[in-house]
Amino acid sequence: MKFAVCVKHAVDESELRIDSEGKPQLDGAQAKMGTFDKNAVEEALRLRSGLGGEVIAITVGKTEAKKSLKEALAMGADRGVHVLTDLGVLDPSKTSELLAGAIAKTGPYDLVICSEGSSDTYTGLVPPMLAERLGVPYIGYVRKLEVTEQSVKAERSLEESLESIESPLASVVSVVSEINEPRYPTLIQIMQASKKPVEEIQPEQMALAGPHMPTSVLSMMAQSSKRKRIIIEGTPSEAAEKLLAALEKEGVLPS
Amino acid sequence: MALALPLFSAEHRVLLKTLYPSTHDEYSEVLASLGKFMEKEIMPHSPKFDLGQEPIGPSRKRLLENGMCQIPFPSEYGGLGLPFSVYANAVELLGTADASIALSVEIHNAVAEGIFKFGTTQQKANLLPSLTSGKTLASFALTEPASGSDARTVRTTAKPTKDDYVINGSKTFITNAGEADVYMVFARTEKGPSCLLVEAPNPGIRFGAPMSKLGMRGSKTSEVTFEDCHVPKDSLVGVEGEGIDYATQILHGARIVVAALNVGISSLAYAKALDYSKQRNAFGKPISEFQLTREKIADMKTGINAARLLYFYASRLKESGFDYSSEAAQAKVFATEMSLKVCDAAIQVYGGYGYTNDELHRHWRDARLLTIGEGTSEVLRLLIASRELARAT
Repeated sequence: MKFAVCVKHAVDESELRIDSEGKPQLDGAQAKMGTFDKNAVEEALRLRSGLGGEVIAITVGKTEAKKSLKEALAMGADRGVHVLTDLGVLDPSKTSELLAGAIAKTGPYDLVICSEGSSDTYTGLVPPMLAERLGVPYIGYVRKLEVTEQSVKAERSLEESLESIESPLASVVSVVSEINEPRYPTLIQIMQASKKPVEEIQPEQMALAGPHMPTSVLSMMAQSSKRKRIIIEGTPSEAAEKLLAALEKEGVLPS
Repeated sequence: MALALPLFSAEHRVLLKTLYPSTHDEYSEVLASLGKFMEKEIMPHSPKFDLGQEPIGPSRKRLLENGMCQIPFPSEYGGLGLPFSVYANAVELLGTADASIALSVEIHNAVAEGIFKFGTTQQKANLLPSLTSGKTLASFALTEPASGSDARTVRTTAKPTKDDYVINGSKTFITNAGEADVYMVFARTEKGPSCLLVEAPNPGIRFGAPMSKLGMRGSKTSEVTFEDCHVPKDSLVGVEGEGIDYATQILHGARIVVAALNVGISSLAYAKALDYSKQRNAFGKPISEFQLTREKIADMKTGINAARLLYFYASRLKESGFDYSSEAAQAKVFATEMSLKVCDAAIQVYGGYGYTNDELHRHWRDARLLTIGEGTSEVLRLLIASRELARAT
């Protein structure tokens, strides 16, 4: 079996600083493999240990993105594929196009595993777009995965229910973080990861629609919750009346 | 409270970059990964280790299996072949995650380094791979009830017979006692204090009850008694009579690591105090607005950074083959005394809520050991002064 795992070199949210205007300081921010991508790698490694085969980690990004491939290789992936771009911030459409190109070029694969979303922008759009571009079925938000020679059986986490789905191979799946507990690479595995092969692909080597990206990010702000700091005074019954009125005024309760 | 996180911070990264311009990336990858492991697998358990509600053994084992002790050893002994500073920095992170495990690991690795430096080829081949990979744990047995800083007066004896050595005597304040698989024991032969490796279990070793300690409560410390303890002839490390010289050299390296450990303890106490100073209001404003609190913050941070630079300096001297004994002692004296001040100031910032909070005052209790253990501040000042006077002639 040949498994592809898509990983993103994402901003390390645990080290991200927010400036006084509420903007995340992305310049020079530390980056690492997306938090949930570790679940995707772990799942591929788990499947490989049962079914045999090969796990190939694929990323799209600048030179630094190789660090995330190294993380996947340290965890146990066999080799890496790096689509080198200098396009800066990619939108999901362009990312999925480049990933699909790399998968077509280095495949065929039996199963492509993505995470539910990247830990920085978390659009969750790349996996379904990727499946569409590859022309294969897509199962999203998988919390349990079973793979046989012919098919993949998945249990999906939906908001109020669980859904069981079976799909033929090849397919694209995206996994949620509950699916497993990612292993820690040992320090020796980290050191040895740089010796594993990484194939670099230039976007020019693929038939692409062009540099155009249909969406672009206009601004990015940290979430902030401003408090109104209203102190209600009076006897308990007066205060309750005032609180009720205030909540109605805010539209929290119907008036 | 997500404080002092990530353990391997931007400050560490930048420092490594300046010290190792061409290789820092790899060191940072190793330390960042180790830091993440500690954040998840060790730090959350730390308050329970202190209160005796959970043993440190399983977490320590997972940490060693992850490869922390492989950092400074060459690959032929299962090591990563990285600079000593990277290992010292790892101990700093561990000091923040949990001081008791850091103490236990620091002793373990000091013994491994002793075997690496002074052991026979066979001892190295037999013992080092399992010590560096965490399959086995080591302990260092030098101090005796009547022999501390004056280690040359060890009374424990090792009598050579036709086939083996027979060890008799008592050691005290022994970290990892009862848990370790290998004990580096200093005992007197006719030629003077000598160094022997005793593998447990051995019917001739007995362990006292765990001592009730002020801090470092997760690590096991007790007496170790040898009664007609037979060990094979090839247990001797190096040559007879040179034991104290070996112990001294092992301790020089260990002092750098102890300094790093104290920087780790202090970093967490400081982070907690800094955070609290912004939350706690007095006279209508956060106490961080008051100048006397700010003085504490400034002194804490300055002390931590100065101690970190000093242990890195001693460590770089060690890596580069220079005499580092004075600098290692300076780093240890400065870092351990700084650590007590920082942890004390943290309690002061918290006020009554610090004095009554195990999670805060444990840092002071943990730090308190290390102006005593592995060379008291007093003896180390004598060492520094005599080394500096000799250098000046």
